[in-house]
Amino acid sequence: MASTLERATSVPTRCFHCGEANPSRSNWRADIDGRSERFCCAGCLAVAQTIRAAGLSTFYALREEAEPQARNEAPTVSDVPRAHVADVARDIGNGLREMSLLLDGIHCGACVWLIETWLMQQPGIREASVNFATRRARVRFAAADTSPASILRDIGRIGYRAHPYDPGRREALARRESRALLLRMALALLGMMQVMMFAVPAYISVDGVDAEYQALMNWASLVVTLPVVLYSGAPFFTGAWRGLRVRRPGMDVPIALGVSGAFVWSAWTTIVGRGAVYFDSVTMFIALVLVARFVELQVRAKAGDALESIAREMPPSAHVLEGYPQTASERIVTATELRVGDCIRVESGAPLPADGVVVEGRSSVEEAVLTGESWPRAKTKGDRVMAGSVNRESPLVVRVTAVGEATTLAGLARLVERAASERPRIARLADRVATRFVAILLALTAAVAVAWWFIDPARALPVALSVLVVSCPCALSLATPAALASAAGALGRRQILCVRPDALEAMSRVTHVVLDKTGTLTTGNIRVAGVTAAVPEDASRCLHLAATLEQGSAHPMARALREFKVDPLAASHLTAVAGSGVEGLIQGTRYRFGRADWVAERCRATLPASFVDVASGESPALLASENEWLACIRFGDRVRPEAVALVRTLRGLGLHPSIISGDGEATVASVAHAVGIDEWHADARPVDKRRLIADLQRRGAVVAMIGDGINDAPSLAQADVALTLGSAATLTQWTADAVVLGDDLSRIGHALVAARRTFRVIRQNVAWALVYNIVAIPLAATGHLSPLAAAIGMSASSLIVVGNAWRLSRLSGAHKAARAQTRFSDRPSKRSTPDAAPGRPAVVTRADAAARS
Amino acid sequence: MLIPLSLVLALLIGASFWWATKSGQFDDLEGPAHRILADDDDPC
Repeated sequence: MASTLERATSVPTRCFHCGEANPSRSNWRADIDGRSERFCCAGCLAVAQTIRAAGLSTFYALREEAEPQARNEAPTVSDVPRAHVADVARDIGNGLREMSLLLDGIHCGACVWLIETWLMQQPGIREASVNFATRRARVRFAAADTSPASILRDIGRIGYRAHPYDPGRREALARRESRALLLRMALALLGMMQVMMFAVPAYISVDGVDAEYQALMNWASLVVTLPVVLYSGAPFFTGAWRGLRVRRPGMDVPIALGVSGAFVWSAWTTIVGRGAVYFDSVTMFIALVLVARFVELQVRAKAGDALESIAREMPPSAHVLEGYPQTASERIVTATELRVGDCIRVESGAPLPADGVVVEGRSSVEEAVLTGESWPRAKTKGDRVMAGSVNRESPLVVRVTAVGEATTLAGLARLVERAASERPRIARLADRVATRFVAILLALTAAVAVAWWFIDPARALPVALSVLVVSCPCALSLATPAALASAAGALGRRQILCVRPDALEAMSRVTHVVLDKTGTLTTGNIRVAGVTAAVPEDASRCLHLAATLEQGSAHPMARALREFKVDPLAASHLTAVAGSGVEGLIQGTRYRFGRADWVAERCRATLPASFVDVASGESPALLASENEWLACIRFGDRVRPEAVALVRTLRGLGLHPSIISGDGEATVASVAHAVGIDEWHADARPVDKRRLIADLQRRGAVVAMIGDGINDAPSLAQADVALTLGSAATLTQWTADAVVLGDDLSRIGHALVAARRTFRVIRQNVAWALVYNIVAIPLAATGHLSPLAAAIGMSASSLIVVGNAWRLSRLSGAHKAARAQTRFSDRPSKRSTPDAAPGRPAVVTRADAAARS
Repeated sequence: MLIPLSLVLALLIGASFWWATKSGQFDDLEGPAHRILADDDDPC
């Protein structure tokens, strides 16, 4: 991981704690575990010393990689007015209080261990448990020995940020529901195993079991099955009742009927002492359905956490300038206390807590969270700025014009919410068929019972029950949720979360795929696209100079240059001019780096022609000293390497890909050519995107939209299926049907393939169920099937169907092999794919840069 | 005989599972997997 440049020098150039480059002037040093380590700032040094002093330096050995820590300090609870502190923790008796926290910065198990161990070492802490899956912590402490404020400070001392939050009734409810489901499922499984055991004698005996022993078995089974039916089976009964009340019987009705019918009949036989019992079928049936529902819930819970982070886009605090502009006094308040007309100061690198108008300062603001565009826009006095955007260059003073619900960010959220509720409901396949099936089945059962009443009254009930039991609505109502659940689970393991239950079904029917450009097909990060140097061998030195000049800046260009991880040279008189560039004095020469016209002011030479010729979609920044032009560094948004493969996969599936983007014609065209898409629309506003999708839908297409920035949110809601990448702005993850975690586009192709496979399996299951029912029901209705045979038939059928559905969990196997293959064959031949537009950037790699220096 | 005994045992198992769930042991299914990788080597 360390570049050759670093290995050549004897002093490590990266901070031991956070991994960021150490500024050249830094001499932060400390002794950790017997070695002298260097740090980038006092903050990291303090954190590392704290960790070491607590005896927890194993943390550095355990963690997976260093992550840059948040630079801006969140206000501790003590900064917030007294009134709010009381709400943060609640009393649980015995002088103990409990506080729930959301944690920032957890990215591996080592962090969990560190935080828990560290907290337990603090005075007054009784219990500290961190939930890795949800990034939440629960801390119990003695009110007399410590306080929420000190706990937050303690956590801050080891470099993590904690937000106190109120779990709220909704979350408590969700937790109770999930626990209840777990208990029901466990009880059903336990009961199932017991009852199976009791049923074994009846199954395997050749001559039949003695009546008294069979009675014992039956009674024992009854005792076990009763709680299973009443507790574990309760959801089916309530669901069936609800469905019947609205005249739309769903899956729950046949399940409830079958379960209650079989149980009551079996109980009756047990009491009377004659006949067959079906306790095993009842418990097994309940258990299997609950297992499927439990798996579904797990996957959905994981996806649901993405929604939580939306609350954290708005910064919790603001610096209010009281009496501005006369006085310079400042006060920190929570964002909710801001009022229209307040003047606030926004630091560089900080997000804006409210909508407003700039009254002082010149800077550039990155509105990525709202527009998905990572290019910052210059803002100066009189310009409007929006809540949620991030101030990049220099501090601004802003007069607030809208707070909280009135901000643009909140308005966009509402728009998305409304669009989401207007989406056409796609009923589940199983429910539709099951509804009709249930109705027919009930009628049939009634008819059979009546018919047999006339023929042979004694057999009426057993035959009717056989019909009900053998018909196995489970083949329909079990197969589909099981298939969906195991497919969702398999996808989840491969980092694709299906947030909505309809996601898979919609994905399997997709005909057209609409892709966003920025952030989806491209990485959304500004990268160095290429360097044209006056003297070609000097390219890496020019990059080094540019990186040195930009070292203090939070501008995305600076971030792009920092990719090269080179030690900045000694520089002085560094000044940044907003909207134009930076200048500084390096080794006796004054350089300027930035916009051509501004740099030209100081450079005596004439601008070389090669520096002016820039490909579409790229932004140039020029580097010059006072005497000569040195280089033109082109920044661009890189097309994701796997985009080409994705488009190929899509075409292979017979889908029609297209691009809709808000960017200019030239940029979109070049990206379209680069990935191999023929149809694209540029300069599209959000409402245009939505209209284009609606047009396609009107022509009968099933549209999948793959997007990123919040601008896409309304169109994501309009599409039949919405997929977003895990790097997307939080809000769009909320409206998506499926979220692909991480940055790998090719997973979308896998998701679509998986969806098709899933529905192929579901169709197979339904076909089997139909065949089975068509054969078995007449047999049962005509009295050829004893209830025992019916029970066996039903159990076997449901096992077959569930087993088929479980095949989908092994999605990873086939895909892993396929992916390994394409990985090896794609890389070397990538450059020879359909020719990119002229000016396709050649990315200067670190190795090249190091080699040339 | 053994049948009633097995019923009692099943009841005990069910009860202990109920207690475990209520005390929150099943809320986080991923964390413990990471936890075991951390050695707590306390020098005596």
